[in-house]
Amino acid sequence: MKYLTDRIACSGVNPRTAKVLLLTLLSSVVIDIGAIWALRHFELGSAARIAVALSPVPGKIAVIALILRAIRQLDEFQKRVHFEAVTVAFLSTGVAVFVYGYLQKAQAVGPLDLGRVWTFMLLFYAIGVFIARKHYR
Amino acid sequence: MKNRMRVLRAEKDWTQAQLASVTGVSRQAIVAIENGKYEPALPLAFKIARAFEKNVEEVFIWENHTEKEAT
Repeated sequence: MKYLTDRIACSGVNPRTAKVLLLTLLSSVVIDIGAIWALRHFELGSAARIAVALSPVPGKIAVIALILRAIRQLDEFQKRVHFEAVTVAFLSTGVAVFVYGYLQKAQAVGPLDLGRVWTFMLLFYAIGVFIARKHYR
Repeated sequence: MKNRMRVLRAEKDWTQAQLASVTGVSRQAIVAIENGKYEPALPLAFKIARAFEKNVEEVFIWENHTEKEAT
């Protein structure tokens, strides 16, 4: 935990913000797992199922707000790096979805799983950070 | 834009991490600026110059490409 907090903080982010962000992320994942587990193991009514399904949303909103706060605390160089990474992730995911769509029309692949889109976006973001850092080294 | 950060840092006997700490930016930012890969905005350029107790123009050397091409 301290290692991760220090890694985030060395980019100019306030250590307290880094700690709160990590704890909120962790809590958000626990709520996600809890919600999935509850939906699978309990016989719930329609309203209760919707309430459980939406229970991770406040945590996600808190994570978004904290990431924004952290980004605002980054130094100008780190902001540039992450801006380029977001650009790479956004455009690459768009291209990947287009390509998948064409393959779908060619009946070469099955329906698109939205969970995979998010995973690819994260992957492209990591690649973007790597490319930007290498460019400015 | 060229800079004299490496020389000035050596004079002060500072590491890149120490300069980063003094100016409140990441070490990666100092590495990128020192290698001429990234040009800092004015506030950071002033912070770096003040850290070396110099004026901005003593640290960063502006090269006007249009002037150079004309000569």
